Amino acid sequence: MRMPKLTAFLTATAVFASALAATADEVHVLNWKGYGADEPWAIAAFEKATGNKVVNDFFNSEQEMLTKLRTNPGLYDVVMINAAFNDQALAEKLIQPIDVSKIPNYADISPDKAGSPMLNHDGKVFGVPWVWGLTALAINEKAFETPPTSIGEMWNEAHKGRVTIRDDAVEAVQFGAIATGQNINDIKDMEAVKAKLTSLMPQIRTFWSSENDWNQMVASNQIDIGTYWSGSADRAKTHFKLPVSLVIPGEGAVAWLDAFSIPVGAKNVAGAEAFINYMIDPKFYVEWVTKVGAPVSANAKAVAALPEDAFNRKVMGDPEVAKRIQFQAPITDAQREAYLALWQELKVNVK
Amino acid sequence: MAGQVATGSRRGLRSALPLLLPAYLWLTVAIFLPLSAMVFFSFMTELPLSGKAWSFTLDNYASFFSQPLYLTLLAASLRLGLEVTLWCVVIGYPAAYVLAKVLRGRSREAIFLLVILPFWSNGLVRIFSWAMVLREGGILDTALNAVLPFKINIDLMYSYPAVIIGLVHSYVPYMVLTCYLTLQAIDDSLIEAGRSLGASRLQMLKRVIIPLSMPGLVAGAALIFVPVVGSFMEPRILGGRTGTFYGTIIEDQFVAVFNWPLGAALSFILLAVVLVILALASPVLRRAA
Amino acid sequence: MATTRFLEWCGRLYIWLLLAFLYLPVIIMALMSFNVSPFYQLPFEWTTEWYALLWQNDQLFSATWNSLEIAIITTVIATVLGSAASLALYRHEFRGKKVLQALLFPPIAIPWLITGTAMLIFFFGVGIGRGLFAILLGHVALALPYVIVVVSARLQTFAPELEEAARSLGANQWQVTWRVTLPWIMPGVIAGGLFAFAVSFDQFVVSYFLSTPGQTTLPVEIYAAIRKGFTPEINAVSTIIIVVSMALMLLTARFFKFGGEK
Repeated sequence: MRMPKLTAFLTATAVFASALAATADEVHVLNWKGYGADEPWAIAAFEKATGNKVVNDFFNSEQEMLTKLRTNPGLYDVVMINAAFNDQALAEKLIQPIDVSKIPNYADISPDKAGSPMLNHDGKVFGVPWVWGLTALAINEKAFETPPTSIGEMWNEAHKGRVTIRDDAVEAVQFGAIATGQNINDIKDMEAVKAKLTSLMPQIRTFWSSENDWNQMVASNQIDIGTYWSGSADRAKTHFKLPVSLVIPGEGAVAWLDAFSIPVGAKNVAGAEAFINYMIDPKFYVEWVTKVGAPVSANAKAVAALPEDAFNRKVMGDPEVAKRIQFQAPITDAQREAYLALWQELKVNVK
Repeated sequence: MAGQVATGSRRGLRSALPLLLPAYLWLTVAIFLPLSAMVFFSFMTELPLSGKAWSFTLDNYASFFSQPLYLTLLAASLRLGLEVTLWCVVIGYPAAYVLAKVLRGRSREAIFLLVILPFWSNGLVRIFSWAMVLREGGILDTALNAVLPFKINIDLMYSYPAVIIGLVHSYVPYMVLTCYLTLQAIDDSLIEAGRSLGASRLQMLKRVIIPLSMPGLVAGAALIFVPVVGSFMEPRILGGRTGTFYGTIIEDQFVAVFNWPLGAALSFILLAVVLVILALASPVLRRAA
Repeated sequence: MATTRFLEWCGRLYIWLLLAFLYLPVIIMALMSFNVSPFYQLPFEWTTEWYALLWQNDQLFSATWNSLEIAIITTVIATVLGSAASLALYRHEFRGKKVLQALLFPPIAIPWLITGTAMLIFFFGVGIGRGLFAILLGHVALALPYVIVVVSARLQTFAPELEEAARSLGANQWQVTWRVTLPWIMPGVIAGGLFAFAVSFDQFVVSYFLSTPGQTTLPVEIYAAIRKGFTPEINAVSTIIIVVSMALMLLTARFFKFGGEK
């Protein structure tokens, strides 16, 4: 069996299979589960307003999202892609340019997000910014009288065996970069990162991989401090009433931007545009924040629609914070593998 | 002895085919052919799915030998498999004996079924429940402190013992049931005869019962050892920072960096090692029987 | 006799201890389905909210139903095909038998993640695609080695002379198998079936790769839910399944004999 033939065969089968699956007035959405786009109340409102039916499918990692796009051409109409992966999706010809004139709310997106070089190529828009957030620190309020201000708190002897970080090579390395005062997208001194992370290992209780892990550990008072996502920390506090609060350390934090794209071969582009427009609408966003808890909308009007003391407006909108954070840029496959090798080595040596 | 070919048993593949074919045909379509595709991938530099240029290479296999990390982890995983299997024998074999030789009637049938029932609940939910038992201030800690006169701190969560407990719990029913199957087949009159000839309980166990039930022990050990060596879910959740094993890095190659060729190569090395161990162990065990 | 009775008493106690060990997580799972906190938080506060939520959760319901259907069909097919293959491997000597026996181990040894990926690609290539049928195809294949290994272990204790005797009394091959061999290996077949059910019903990885949005199974739903917004609804549905199957099993044990009692 020769491989190019097999690939062609795969594609042909996939197109055929998906042609049967998708009908015109359905919008097939690919996103993380429990990440806004699959909220039942939101789907109901969107379906009522536009007559399109939403069909959700989910991924558990960016790599899986890309695989799903590769193996199911034509199946999805909307896909949520972290901006740092937009380049790769475009290079593999998985996504198409978006006609933003069909998306009225696009005009309200804050210019720094809309103009992101990660989402714009040759004057064309390949991703509509949706929400952004931070990977920063979160603390168990029971363990601190006053919240710490430095990332160095993770290395504090007092928290030995009560620290957690995510089991993710890229995030761990970028965190190490912040802790050693480096640019996360241009790490010059890898040895310093390695040394810093090595000294963190004995502090760690366990690695977390999902929001649920974090919340369970805090609920049973097993951890004091750890890396966490801003939206999740907010949700843990407001929705689940856990003693969690977010800390954006003085050294900075990792920021990410999530955007919607339209895959090549989408059957219902009009429906996709309507869906994206709805997802960045202030009305949807306010409801999402109030009912569930969410990251920060890329739509300036949507953020402005929140109450003044809302976390996403007050803390995340603080210009002081904006100065400290570093947005994740695309990472090459070689870098990713190098990070993973480093991370695996650290994890093995700790045994 | 049973198990050897009797005179009347017919020879030849042809007469075996009607019974053999359906199962192996099914396995071929759903397992062997897909895995052959994986073998193919394991010799490639890039996955053709990603649209990049690729060529054939042995690098994926070579990297196993060039990086001490993989060997260390494989050794750790083999040790884990061995320990879990041994614990399952120690815990499961006596239970199988009681079930086969002491209990009688309906209660035996009921317990036979009850042993496997917990595994009809979800594996992840079971692991979460273990977390609740093992952690500091968890159920084990609280219960022991309520009974014991002195204060002790039990915090097994995120440790190697937690991984062992979780895995033994998941796999011990295999040992109980396979050993039961061969222990139950031993004729009671044989044991009585031996006893009346003056053999002690221990002698009977060593000379008669264990050798006759060996096929069950071997089957159970294989069904436990083999999957435990490649396990990643239980170690990851229960082991915390000590939970990195060979299965975890295979998972990482597939999920985190999309390097299927390397992940596939690593898993075929695992398969080869496991098969060699089974091949080496089986004559030893048979001689023991 | 006193020592014998004492030892038997110890044995019974031991079995109960083992069952306690096996059921400990299940009991906690059931308790937490009645606890208010979704994070297994103590102190325990009673609620039936999760069961009420479960009742409205059509997605979880249909996934549970799919899982049950697939597990039952898998159990039947794998038990029948696997037992037949074990008989063939037991009765006949031929070249390559060792190879066939060794081939049972790749599906067990290779992490399901890799097998699942391989199935996804291959099923795609040959046009089987994804969906419930593909899941069933995969589950039966994963369960088969377990059935064959377990039934073979039981067959090892079978005296071929019994088949010979029946044959010499004029029974044909079918009658020999049905009346002599099958009753003997029945406990093995039942155990194999129980394993097959467990392998299929708790199978996450392979199902995950082969499921499509409308056609998922319970473990796939659970795994997706655990990433964000895990709720004890999952404990609730698992508890219901365990309670119902326990009732069915105890009824079965009450009315049928399969433990190999003579």
